[in-house]
Amino acid sequence: MDAKTQRYIDLAMAYSGPLFVVGYIIFWGIMGHNIPPPNMLAMSGEEFVANYYAKYPELPVAMIVSAVVAAFYLPWSCLLSSLLKDSNGNMSALGLLELTAGAVTALLLAACPVIWAACAIMYPVTDPETIKLIHMFCWFLYDCTYMLVSLQLFGAGLYAALNKEQNIFPAWAGWCAVVGGCSMIPLSLIAFVSEGAFAINGLWNFYIAYSGWLFLFFSLYCYFVLKHVHGGKSSVAQNRNALPA
Amino acid sequence: MPENPQIKHEHHSENSDYPGTSGIWIFVFLDMVVFLLMFLTYLSEKHRVPEVFVSSQQYLNEFFGLANTVILLTSSWAMAQAVKASRIKSVKQIKQYLIIAIALGFLFCINKVFEYGIKLDAGYSVTTNAFFSFYYVITGIHFLHVIGGLCFMCVMYAKSTIAGSSAAYTKGLENVGLFWHFVDVLWLFIFPLIYLTGLQ
Repeated sequence: MDAKTQRYIDLAMAYSGPLFVVGYIIFWGIMGHNIPPPNMLAMSGEEFVANYYAKYPELPVAMIVSAVVAAFYLPWSCLLSSLLKDSNGNMSALGLLELTAGAVTALLLAACPVIWAACAIMYPVTDPETIKLIHMFCWFLYDCTYMLVSLQLFGAGLYAALNKEQNIFPAWAGWCAVVGGCSMIPLSLIAFVSEGAFAINGLWNFYIAYSGWLFLFFSLYCYFVLKHVHGGKSSVAQNRNALPA
Repeated sequence: MPENPQIKHEHHSENSDYPGTSGIWIFVFLDMVVFLLMFLTYLSEKHRVPEVFVSSQQYLNEFFGLANTVILLTSSWAMAQAVKASRIKSVKQIKQYLIIAIALGFLFCINKVFEYGIKLDAGYSVTTNAFFSFYYVITGIHFLHVIGGLCFMCVMYAKSTIAGSSAAYTKGLENVGLFWHFVDVLWLFIFPLIYLTGLQ
């Protein structure tokens, strides 16, 4: 592949990240009424269905579009991993960790809205407690698997913080990603706590944990990836440069 | 292997005149910000349901907290002495002080596990109410830091015989020391915030 085509591909993959975030905020967050999400643990099945699925008829469309938009997280994660190379220009173990954890995260981000869409379509003919159970199960899957996202952050973060031979990401951005990954640990509590800061819609487990991912990892890495790609250095070009003379 | 000349080092020089390396300072600063957010969230929840927090705090035993404060402060002192010993290349003293710091760290862990056990036996778990959620999350994350610090100290102890007199070892020990002092400082905020503010 010639360098120009490679650059266009890199640029497209670099912009798929912001596309995912903007699309997901619009469709899953705003149109899906998930900012903050309903606290189903504090409601009965009937209350929950009446206050969420029956109240917002736009939910099926919002969730299906969210599932489509979530796929854009995958090319961005692939591009990021292609930049996490060792001194020989080969993909590093931390790069592989970032890639696999990013791919699994993209799968979860896409699969859970599909199940919520099914709930939104089937709630008139299904027992409310069953709808609540499926909705809750999906949220547990979405939030309690945070360690997969954290591993992506640790992979990208430790590479930037500890690899002194790379100049794409500053070390402080790496430490930010590591701390962002650690800040998600209380998400385990959403299964047990129905009110307060550690509830599903709580101050920590929704606003701070999600903001940690967005501002301590995604925004920073997105900026440096875009800066790198706009600088005309494709992942392949960097690979060539890194080869020993 | 020759270093790529195109690679520009943005990392801070490690031969600076402050203790440790830039990485540990950045990590400690960011970790501090996360704990600050945690404390602010705690205070906002306490403001929302003050009666739950005040009534629940009565079930905490401040003497466990006080004992752990003394243990961590003493451990921190031993760690500072180990760093001082490392600067004068005294491997014997490094080992002596590291052993004290590690033993006190383990004592903190035993005390904490004992305290958790008493609370859980009495039926106060992370799901009991908002206060106990914070109690377990804040002290639990701090506990993870203590375990991390203990692991780092054990590694430094193991390396001291072979590398104890090298400059790189001193830098590494300074990093571990900074982390351990940070863990200590965190506890100095956690202890009054969680144990003492509810005392009547």
